[in-house]
Amino acid sequence: MSLSWTTLVVIAVIGGFSLWSMYSGFQALNSEDSEFAMAYLLSGAAGFAAIGYMMFSTRSSVPRKPVVPKVDVVTTLECPDCNLKRVRDFKRGDYINKDDEPCTRCEGNMVITGIHKRAEPKKG
Amino acid sequence: MFLQVAQLFGQDNTDIGMILQTLFSLSFVIYLFYAQRIQAMTMLRQIEGTLMKVKRIKDEGRRISIETVKEIGKPEADPTLLIDRFIEFFVVSPVSLDPAGIIGKLDHLLNMSDDTIKAEVKKMAPEASEAELNNLENLLGATHALNAYYKVIRHFYLLGKKTMNIYVIMQIHMVLPLIVREIEATSYAVQAFKDGIPIGDSVGPLVIAKMMRGHEWKDVAKDMVAAEVPYEGRKLILTKAKGPGGTVGKPGDAIENIINSVEGEKVKAVIMIDAAMKLEGETTGAIHEGIGAVIGGIGVEKYKIEEIANKYGLPLYGLAIRQDISQAIGPMVEELHKAADVAVETVKRIIVERTQEGDIVVVAGVGNTIGVGQ
Repeated sequence: MSLSWTTLVVIAVIGGFSLWSMYSGFQALNSEDSEFAMAYLLSGAAGFAAIGYMMFSTRSSVPRKPVVPKVDVVTTLECPDCNLKRVRDFKRGDYINKDDEPCTRCEGNMVITGIHKRAEPKKG
Repeated sequence: MFLQVAQLFGQDNTDIGMILQTLFSLSFVIYLFYAQRIQAMTMLRQIEGTLMKVKRIKDEGRRISIETVKEIGKPEADPTLLIDRFIEFFVVSPVSLDPAGIIGKLDHLLNMSDDTIKAEVKKMAPEASEAELNNLENLLGATHALNAYYKVIRHFYLLGKKTMNIYVIMQIHMVLPLIVREIEATSYAVQAFKDGIPIGDSVGPLVIAKMMRGHEWKDVAKDMVAAEVPYEGRKLILTKAKGPGGTVGKPGDAIENIINSVEGEKVKAVIMIDAAMKLEGETTGAIHEGIGAVIGGIGVEKYKIEEIANKYGLPLYGLAIRQDISQAIGPMVEELHKAADVAVETVKRIIVERTQEGDIVVVAGVGNTIGVGQ
């Protein structure tokens, strides 16, 4: 996360003030001065909330996932003679109804019958 | 603790109480006068974040387009300038004040636009094959769409920033989640068009490709093919866009030419299969039957199909295969691939139930035929 110098200085100042407020609040609680204690604790909490808001609302400079997502695609080949079926990774140039590689079981030619996104494993 | 905090605000006889009460009153007054401005600033910040994300997607799409054109087309000169010019291309719709004849005007404009785009892409990628050129057209089309989305969001963002008017800002803020869904869907399409992978919209042509496999096919219209396939005593004339390059062809012209070639009398039904948007909660790949010309687009091809069906009194049966926007333009998902097999059986059932032996049935698979041959 990238933050500008101004933001960092403001966070530091508010953070310091909030810490002092919280400390004073707890000190006041211990000395049974509850009126001042609550005010100090409240202002300290508000300061930390403001810091939290500033940090979460700052844009991250590094995207978490690829901008143009890459999808895993598979090609299904079938032999029309012996019905052998094979699934492999898609490669450019594949298209449905294309006669592809020779069948490994008989003399025929495998035909591309399907191209689609690889099915995600079902969550058990 | 809350009681103690509340008591602080009620007390005006202590210093702390007075300060807090003053602060509370002041914040109330500030909120009264500046609430809209604060809200506008918050909305603008959210729009700005989305705009940055859309810009990254757009720039990445542009980079992939340039890279793919260089890889496939092997141009002598750098195609970047041509691509940047292409993504700003526009087509002006004909005036609709006097709608008579508007279909003809739209058809003419679309034909002109198609020819111009093909020529531009050919210039960018001289070594590309016909199928590759079609895929590059689609890829550049997706990049063009991303650019348009970015410019529209940026326009409303800057307008909102200039005017600080909450109603101007709200216009884009309200629809932003829906626009972002479409933009993300278009980003999925970039990979599909780059590599020639079938997309969800290809399910219509896929159904026809499965039915026409092994039969001879011929050209029946621009970028459209058809094959005659016998089934249960009927003659099926199957038609789809000519693959495996990415194109939707001209299904209206194809159906018109086919029906006119048999003089229309013997054709007893026209069945159309197309992808359709699903509502939230519907299953991907669900197949729904209906009546009418099941085809999208601006209406030119639909008009031609309805005219010819009306001329010969032909029933128009439609099959809609449900999917959402990201599935329609992204790489085909397995559910849609399986739905194509179900759709083939559904078409066969409709033919047996609603036609007689000796009838001619025209079956059209509508959609982008990228990655689907014949």
